Amino acid sequence: MKAFSDYHPLVLLVYFLSVLVAAMFVNNPVIGLLALLGGILFCIMLSKRSEAAGNIGFYAPLFFMVAITNPLFSHNGVTPLFFLNGNPVTVEAFAYGAAIAVMVIGVMMWCKCYSAVMTSDKFLYLFGKAVPKLSLVLSMALRFIPMFKRQTHKVSRAQKSMGLYSSKSFIDKIKSSMRVFMAMLSWSLENSIETSASMKARGYGLKGRTNFSLFRFYPRDGVLLSVCAVLLGVTVAGIITGDTAFYYYPRISELTFTPLAVAVYAAFGIMSFLPFMIEVKEALKWKYYISKI
Amino acid sequence: MKKDLLALLGIILIIAVIINGTEIQSVDEYYLTHIDDITPESETVFITIRCDTILDNLDALDENLREFVPPDGVILPKTEYVLRNGDTVFDILDRAVRYNKIQMEYQGAKQNSFGSVYIQGINFLYEFSCGPLSGWMYRVDGEFPNYGCSKYELKDGQSIEWIYTCDLGRDVGAEWFNNLGGQNK
Repeated sequence: MKAFSDYHPLVLLVYFLSVLVAAMFVNNPVIGLLALLGGILFCIMLSKRSEAAGNIGFYAPLFFMVAITNPLFSHNGVTPLFFLNGNPVTVEAFAYGAAIAVMVIGVMMWCKCYSAVMTSDKFLYLFGKAVPKLSLVLSMALRFIPMFKRQTHKVSRAQKSMGLYSSKSFIDKIKSSMRVFMAMLSWSLENSIETSASMKARGYGLKGRTNFSLFRFYPRDGVLLSVCAVLLGVTVAGIITGDTAFYYYPRISELTFTPLAVAVYAAFGIMSFLPFMIEVKEALKWKYYISKI
Repeated sequence: MKKDLLALLGIILIIAVIINGTEIQSVDEYYLTHIDDITPESETVFITIRCDTILDNLDALDENLREFVPPDGVILPKTEYVLRNGDTVFDILDRAVRYNKIQMEYQGAKQNSFGSVYIQGINFLYEFSCGPLSGWMYRVDGEFPNYGCSKYELKDGQSIEWIYTCDLGRDVGAEWFNNLGGQNK
């Protein structure tokens, strides 16, 4: 069930852009954590149960890698823990590294949700008429990584079924994946040319061409769009007045809880949990109707 | 499995080299510097660290750095230190900041193309902290040497000043920048 993806593409695009921009450019730990939590919850709703373990196995090491790398290169901060080759390793640098890691993973989560919800046909529906070439390139670029992953999986399974690289040695595994990667490189180049040729053959970008999927702007889309606009307005107001300003260097500043700052946290919290709430509401409704039958 | 063992050995070797090249000191160890006592025969130099130019450009300074600018702009008043044989400006600065527990961050001589140590920040005031043209400069006996501080060997009785500039040296009287071709102002 993907209740959130039934909304109009325009609303979805505005929503994702505002969450991503706020999560990337607001240097406040509360905003970062809210974005991360909202992203994780939405991702859980969208993805299969079986993927969860693999995701944790990927994102948890990534978190620690980013958090630990920062103090090695950034030595600013008032509380040194120890000195590495004459330069201090500080608590502030660790805190900033953790904040960056939260931000990076949060943004990755939201991008994952974006690619699941905003399929290529929605993107082309929005921009195909206005900027046909750019929107085709963008939509191909956005679906490149997931497609690459799927195809890699297929190729490596095919190679294994032929009896190649069945050795358990770690080095052999790396060698075989290198070989698959080489094959994938040429495949992806060829595939992108084929895609564009095929789009051209179907008259993409010509006048009078209709879209694959049609979307109508329902009243509920208007409601969600205006809710988004209000919440984004509050968030931007907090950034402009500096109420949510936060510094890690040289001393970690205290979190501000002025009325406007609290309003911003609340507004961004609602915005970040909005898709999750919509999904849960629809799921409950579905359960309820089923129980009635 | 033989290959795996070899790869494992290689990784262990790399880690060992990295660990061997790092030196970990506790905070107390780092600040515990030996300062030679000044005797009548010993050669000495003077060192000052100042940031008065920031006081004129407080608007450009990041708000969270205000508390680290001393009211009179003097981070380290003129102090005398014993000159050891072959000491450069950087050695004296390093000893002085450690002895006085002043924070300092630098880029090692091997990490940049100048072949000299570059001072990024002293007392949490970093390059670019007070506008895009700000950073630390040094002068010896009133003159700005146009090269790195770990290449300047000191002589007896010289006096070093570390000064924070907010305008690429123009506001503290560094003339050499004005002589660069086409950059005249």
